[in-house]
Parts: sequence; structure tokens; C-alpha cells
Amino acid sequence: MTYPPLTEDELIAYFEDALPPDARARIETRLATDPQAQATLVGWSQQNADIRALYGAPGDDLDNTPVPAHLSAALHTRPPARAHPLRAAVVIGLLALGGASGWIGKAGLYSTTFAPIDGQTLAQAAISAHDTYVVEVVHPVEVPATQRDHMDTWMSKRMGTRLSPPDLGSAGFVLMGGRILPSDSGPAGLYMYENADGQRITLYVSHQQGHDTAFRFAGEDATQSLLWSDRGLGYALTGAMPRERLREMAKTAYDQLL
Amino acid sequence: MTVLTEIEALIPDLRRYAYALLRDREAGDDLVQDCLERAVHSHRSRRAEGSLRAWLFRILINRHRDLMRRSLRPGHLVPVQDLIEEPARPAGQETHMALRETEAAIARLPEDQRRALLLVALEGASITEAAQALDIPRGTLLSRLARARATLRIMTGRAGAAGSVSHPADRSDNDRPDNDRPTTRAGDLQK
Repeated sequence: MTYPPLTEDELIAYFEDALPPDARARIETRLATDPQAQATLVGWSQQNADIRALYGAPGDDLDNTPVPAHLSAALHTRPPARAHPLRAAVVIGLLALGGASGWIGKAGLYSTTFAPIDGQTLAQAAISAHDTYVVEVVHPVEVPATQRDHMDTWMSKRMGTRLSPPDLGSAGFVLMGGRILPSDSGPAGLYMYENADGQRITLYVSHQQGHDTAFRFAGEDATQSLLWSDRGLGYALTGAMPRERLREMAKTAYDQLL
Repeated sequence: MTVLTEIEALIPDLRRYAYALLRDREAGDDLVQDCLERAVHSHRSRRAEGSLRAWLFRILINRHRDLMRRSLRPGHLVPVQDLIEEPARPAGQETHMALRETEAAIARLPEDQRRALLLVALEGASITEAAQALDIPRGTLLSRLARARATLRIMTGRAGAAGSVSHPADRSDNDRPDNDRPTTRAGDLQK
């Protein structure tokens, strides 16, 4: 009996052991009369052998260097306590509500002398700050969320307006802390959040002129930014995730207000 | 404490994978340390599904994505010399030459394919575990692996005269936000 040649889909599922026993048996029957597929399998096995020879597979003594002490130590230091969720005020929803009192005070409470910037610049600055600091291992933030009072006081003072980051805990993101950055419109604030999978998002805040705006999106490559402005401040929530997820996070935050 | 002990037992797996991804011992350990700190910080809020190992790999991969995004920003291209230049490894024998070829070829794979291939080929992850670690469907993972393996065979000149199995035309692989592209097309290497 003759069979059609095995397809790449069939072969890879067979090779990576992703088939139930009966399907596996059927492939094996056809393999016996398909020399080309056999050759492909040999090639793939050789790749696995090469990769293990290069980097040392589990159980190999080839790469049996001891684990550096600082790596084990990373497991045994006490994790910093998280900011109390109730202390973080509410979020982005205030935009939709149009000025509910919330996590950001009035801009102009203190006078500022900085030139405001437009949306394009805001997006660029926010994405650039995001990409720079989310990869930071040692100092992702200047002031950790454990020192929340200090952070809020200090960042408000530098920004010249009352500033306190939102709680994104319902979306799985926990505040790590904040930092102050230089920007075209004077000091800008950057808050960083992280979820249990190690994904990080940032909220960038800077002085911005013009009317309050609804959410807008900006993004280059994988990094997407959701922008809005409210009472003299521009905000950008930025992350390497689909826009819909960023938008959902804003909605989740909105629901917290109801 | 048991979770931390379990995590500790997986450090060698993480180091091996991080080293294979970055081909730099120090950078690899930095990535692992970053991953471990994340893990300690958030293991209590970890999603229930999937193994601990898959979750750790997922954290490490997320951190690796961030890292690559930054280093690839200027122009997206890495000088070819940088890819071929390797830390001293005994050379001169044919097997070593072949290995170096394979290594250089792996370095040219798009990041998403490289992460997938190293998870199954080096770490021995099952398709289910690797799909969890990469946060993609099993079918997507399988076609990604098939593409990685086909490209590797072409780049190392071991595809065979028969051209092996036919490839379904470029399936889209846009389920992840990665925009990584190979810096050298497979065809360029096959003079």
C-alpha cells in the first residue's frame, strides 16, 4: 500500500512527541516507505545533538560549573513588602469620569516654568523611557514602592504638582516604584509596574499643554503606548503588549471607581 | 520554603538556557538573577496552570524580550562578525567546525524561533511545557519549530539534495509582538 509523503506538520508533531499513540503509530507505518522524511528526521536529531554539545544538556557533565553564590542568594533575600493596595489611589478612570478627584492632584497647584510638550513628543519620551528602564536589573526604579510616602513627596516636589501613582493590582500589576527623568518640559515622572510573569509596564507623566484628550495610541515595534492628557499633565501607559490589553487595563481601572 | 527549594534546583536549567540565548556567561547569569528575583517576588501570585519550570522560563523569556528590544533598537542589525566571533572553543577538528556552523546558524534565527528551539532541543521541554513557557498555542509552537529546523538545515548546508520535505508557504507568526527578523537570510548563506 502506498501513502502520500509525510508533510512537515506531521513530521514535526511526530518528532517532538506531540501525538497520541494511534496517530504516532500511523506516522511510523508511513515513515517506513518515506526515505525523504527519514532523512529529515535524522537531520533534526543531529540538530538536537549539536545543540546539546554546544550548550550542555540536562544531566551532562560538560557544563557542570557550580551555581554562583549570588544566584542562590537571590532566592533567600526577603522580598520587599508591597505597597498597601488601599493606599494607592484610583486610576485612569478619572479621565473618563472627567476630573474625579483621584490619584493626581491639580497641575498648577504649584507654578511651573517648563515648556509644555505635544502628544508626539510625549509618546516618544514615554516609549524611550519605558525601553530604557524595563530592562534595568539593579535599579529599575529610583525609589521603591516600599518607600511610598517618600516617593510621592519627592516626585510631587520635583514635578511641581501633586503626584501619586494608581493601583493596577486588579490587572495583576504591582507598583515597583518610580523615578524622575529629564524631559523637554522639565522633570517627568516614570512609574513602573510588574506582574507575576515578569512583564513590566510603565506610566510616564509630564507637563503638557492643550486640552484634555481621550485615549490615543502610539507605538513602534512591540512597545505600545496609551496616551491621554488631563489638566496640564500628559500621561502614557506603556508596555510590550497588544493595545487591547492596555485598553482593558484602563477599563479595569475605570470599574474600580464605580 | 519548598517552592524556593524547587526553584533553586532549576537554576542550572535556567543558566544553561540563558547562556544559549545570549552566548555570554555573565549576561546569562544577569538574566537568571533578574528572573530569580522576579520569581521570589511573585511566586505567590503565580497562575495555577503549568509547571513551575514553565513559569520560570516564561519569566526569563519575558525579560529576554525586553533585553533584545533595547539592544536591537538601533537599526535592528547586528554586525555579522559579532555573530560569528565566539568565545574560545577548541577548534580545528571537523566536528568542532560543524558545531560552530550550527552555533552561528542558531544565532541567525529570529529570536522567537531560537527561544522555542532551545527550549525543546536543549532543555528537553515537552511541547506542552514549552508552549506554556512561550505563552503560545501548541500548533503555533510546532510550526515555529519546523521553520527553525528547516532554516537551520539550509543554513548549515545539510538540507540534502532532495530538498527534504516541502514547506507550507510562510505561515504568519504574528501572534507575539516580537518583530525580530533574521539578520541574514538563509539563502545568502547557501552560495
